[in-house]
Amino acid sequence: MTRRRFWSLRPASTGEATDAILANLLLHWFPARMRLTSIAWTPSFWLGTVTWVLFVLLLLSGLPLMVFYVPSTREAYQSIKDIEHVVSFGWWIRAAHRIAAHLMVIVVSLHLVRVFLTGAYKNAGQREQHREWNWVIGVAMLVGTLLLSFTGYLLPWDQLAFWAVTVSMNIVSSTLLVGPAIRDALIGGREIGQTALMRFYLLHIVVVPIAMAVLFAYHMWRVRKDGGLARGDAPQDAAEVVVAIPAVARRVTVVALLTWLVVTVLALVIPSPLEEAANALVTPNPAKAPWYFLWLQEIVADTTVRIGSVAVNGAFIGGVVLPMALLVLLTLWPWLDRSPAATVGATLPRERRTQVLVFIAIAAIVIVLTGVGLLRGPSWQFYWPWQPWANVPTRF
Amino acid sequence: MDGDSQTRRSFLSRLAAAAGLAGLAAQGGILVRSCVPNVTYDSPSTVKIGLPESFADGLTFLPAQRLFIVRDSKVFRAVSAVCTHLGCTVHADVQQLTDGPDPGARPHLQVQQFSCPCHGSRYRADGTNISGPAPRPLARYRLALAPDDGQLVVNLTDEVGASFVLTLS
Repeated sequence: MTRRRFWSLRPASTGEATDAILANLLLHWFPARMRLTSIAWTPSFWLGTVTWVLFVLLLLSGLPLMVFYVPSTREAYQSIKDIEHVVSFGWWIRAAHRIAAHLMVIVVSLHLVRVFLTGAYKNAGQREQHREWNWVIGVAMLVGTLLLSFTGYLLPWDQLAFWAVTVSMNIVSSTLLVGPAIRDALIGGREIGQTALMRFYLLHIVVVPIAMAVLFAYHMWRVRKDGGLARGDAPQDAAEVVVAIPAVARRVTVVALLTWLVVTVLALVIPSPLEEAANALVTPNPAKAPWYFLWLQEIVADTTVRIGSVAVNGAFIGGVVLPMALLVLLTLWPWLDRSPAATVGATLPRERRTQVLVFIAIAAIVIVLTGVGLLRGPSWQFYWPWQPWANVPTRF
Repeated sequence: MDGDSQTRRSFLSRLAAAAGLAGLAAQGGILVRSCVPNVTYDSPSTVKIGLPESFADGLTFLPAQRLFIVRDSKVFRAVSAVCTHLGCTVHADVQQLTDGPDPGARPHLQVQQFSCPCHGSRYRADGTNISGPAPRPLARYRLALAPDDGQLVVNLTDEVGASFVLTLS
């Protein structure tokens, strides 16, 4: 038998397919054999792979942006303007970067919802598994995704960026005792200025992406160690197993191309906003958080509690205590969920009905509050989409 | 003696590992500590804002300090324009008034209320919070006269009670 110089998408035999994997660094990414259930389109919808593709697209589109972007309060806004209007295809690269970032927040959230609903953080089957730890890694990567998106939000140094970060830094510093110190470490002072921009820039391009890449590698390794997609105690049927190359490679390629296509098209039709240059002297009206934090913005605006003459700022309750409690609960859920392992992979099993319904209720509240936040107009008033905004002065 | 040397060896290697870890932790701490600034380049907190005569009766907004100066003839107050909820700049909803029937009088601004664009907090004209998530009234700062040139000086770190006013003789 003559050995092929390159691996084939149509190997003549299982042996040839396996040889290809052994001979190729990239193909080692996949296990040699995978269960058909692991690579089925449902119930995973390949959301994890889509997230990974979006992350790669963000790295690729971020590189040319880094060539032109200047992380200085004097030049940042102008350099974004140049990217938008002067650099060849700069507008499209920036739009693709922005769209991919927004999609990543959406897809990674859907991924979490899917894993929760199918109970995929539970260990089932004979082999030793630690899916609960992969859930924890996943929650950390959700936070990392939000952090990446949010640190990128400041970089254009326009009004949108400046005031969103002002509000969030006030939330950070409302934390009891350590708040001001954390804020100082994050932005290098009390005010959002050059030090804040530099720190956010470094978090955005170095610290968080590297952390995400490490977590991601561990996440994938854990999935392999735990035997692929979580499922109940299915019979180990040999007929269900396929050789990873080409079966999985083909599907990954399809998912990557589709994701790329969606980002490309959306970047063509959805322009990236750039407001007036940041101005510490004028708060725009309305001033809103990025859409994925709008639900939190609704909560911080409603949770100032007065006990007698003492008022506790909603920033602390709604901005720190509540999200932290949700995050801790989410992280610890695999240990709190006592339902039998046999419920893994089942949709709405009776044993998990209550927790699934509570989870859906919380998700619904988040979505509704996000919707309310989107519809807020000047002076924090609620407007239906068909209602014209009141004509209030936007400046003093 | 073999047992002894085993013990000594394992003790020493544990000691070495602990020393190594402590060193790593200390250097990690150093890296984190270095990010907390010892010197910040925030704007100065004590600023001269101009001669008292340059302020019209009623309300004047100083954008650079995010501060309102309220003048009532010889009485001056400095009210912060920073919302006590999350630090956005509040807007003053004002009414323009002219003093009496004299057409030559300087028009001045009378505050109806302050409102915050970020989360809808509202304050009365004296800075008391009345609705929305703001937990406290707008801050008042100490005002003084500069001994050298007679300008008003405001200290943005020195919060004073609601009764504080600067009265010129």
